[in-house]
Amino acid sequence: MSKDNSRNITATGREALRQPQQAAATADRRVSVAIRTAWIAGLAVIALLIGVTTWSIVGARASNTTGGGAIDGLIAPAAATDSGAIVIGKPEAKVTVTVFLDFMCPYCGEFERANGGALAAAIDNGTAKLEVHPMSFLDDLSSGTKYSTRAANAFVTVANHDRATALVFSQMLFAQQPAEHSAGLTDATLAGLAAQAGAPADVVAAFPKQTYQPWVAKITTQAFDSGITGTPTVKINGQTFTGDLYTAGPLADAITAAANA
Amino acid sequence: MPEGFLPGLRGLRQSDRWIYSTMLVSALLSLTASFVLSVDAIILAADPHAALACNINAVISCGTVGASWQASLFGFPNAFLGLIAEPVVITIAVASLGGVRFPRWFMLSAQVVYTLGLIFAYWLFFQAYFVIGALCPWCLLITLSTTLVFTSLTHVNIRDGNLYLPQGASRLASGFVRADLDALLVAVWLLGIAAMVITKYATVLF
Repeated sequence: MSKDNSRNITATGREALRQPQQAAATADRRVSVAIRTAWIAGLAVIALLIGVTTWSIVGARASNTTGGGAIDGLIAPAAATDSGAIVIGKPEAKVTVTVFLDFMCPYCGEFERANGGALAAAIDNGTAKLEVHPMSFLDDLSSGTKYSTRAANAFVTVANHDRATALVFSQMLFAQQPAEHSAGLTDATLAGLAAQAGAPADVVAAFPKQTYQPWVAKITTQAFDSGITGTPTVKINGQTFTGDLYTAGPLADAITAAANA
Repeated sequence: MPEGFLPGLRGLRQSDRWIYSTMLVSALLSLTASFVLSVDAIILAADPHAALACNINAVISCGTVGASWQASLFGFPNAFLGLIAEPVVITIAVASLGGVRFPRWFMLSAQVVYTLGLIFAYWLFFQAYFVIGALCPWCLLITLSTTLVFTSLTHVNIRDGNLYLPQGASRLASGFVRADLDALLVAVWLLGIAAMVITKYATVLF
């Protein structure tokens, strides 16, 4: 625009006007350079953000299709079934109670307090066997210490040694359940509780190796893929139990009904 | 700056109709989200068992967000604040679309109050992101719509000189808005928030 003006200016009398006009033009140009630079920088940041986001989506897709990406060094606990369950109780028991839990999930604790006794009794008298799927999706809620994984690893390590001891250990873990957003129970506390439950020293000593960490991650993904949407999820002979999980009675009644069916 | 590129769109973006429509739509979204969250809060209060199972799909564990102390910072559910404030924004937007011009002191007050709201919304977002560690879709909608109401309100207040800024700052701010740099800033900001959420939760969301 200013170029067009200067082309039209021919009279020498206009010469005096030129200086301030040029100064203004320089200032204008400086502003427009600043604006242009800001736009280029902004668009570059936008491109970068889109790139980073796309990258993380692609990465997540890839790792989800390979089952959590933790296949390397995956060791399945001897006590576990292929579906990722630790089975506690007599194999020939008529009723199978399946529980998907996370040792950090407060409502799993509430479920345990309401039904732990009845379940243990049903296992003892041979009515039922318990399939526990220990999951780790609440790992983010223990201030970076991955309590869900550590507790699940300890639980299956004990189960490899003895299932009944593992059941007692799991009850103790829920009795002393740490609050969400705490650091969870320490490794030392986990070891102490396992020893108290009756696990021998060499079993307890294996906890820090975190041998089953990849396996826990895998069965957590596997559980979600199979349609589990929350914990606790409880099934009786494969049917999701829809009654009240948090008061004593309904679950025990359902087990008795299934046993008599 | 895209020269000769969509000048019509740039003109539209500076128009009252565009600014107040953005404000209106965003405030309506915010009001809807506040309403849903308020109803949820009442259901939760009446029956804590309603949220008992830990829901994985929404990256929410055991209704953590709704049950956290942050969710009722002032002793009542935060969402109630949205129910109080957003209808005022809706009124301002509708009246302005209808040609009403509010006095400068009024628009300045709206700016001050809404800025406090924005700070609160982002405090909640960062609490949910870093401390609570869970996503709440309706809360994210509030984060988004609060940002858009704030930016459209700020846009119009800078354009109309409602903020009683010193002359230098005022010139700078209106130059910034005229160059559409505010739109660029909002785009960068919202993309940044989206990137934060997606990179953290990618494995769960995709």
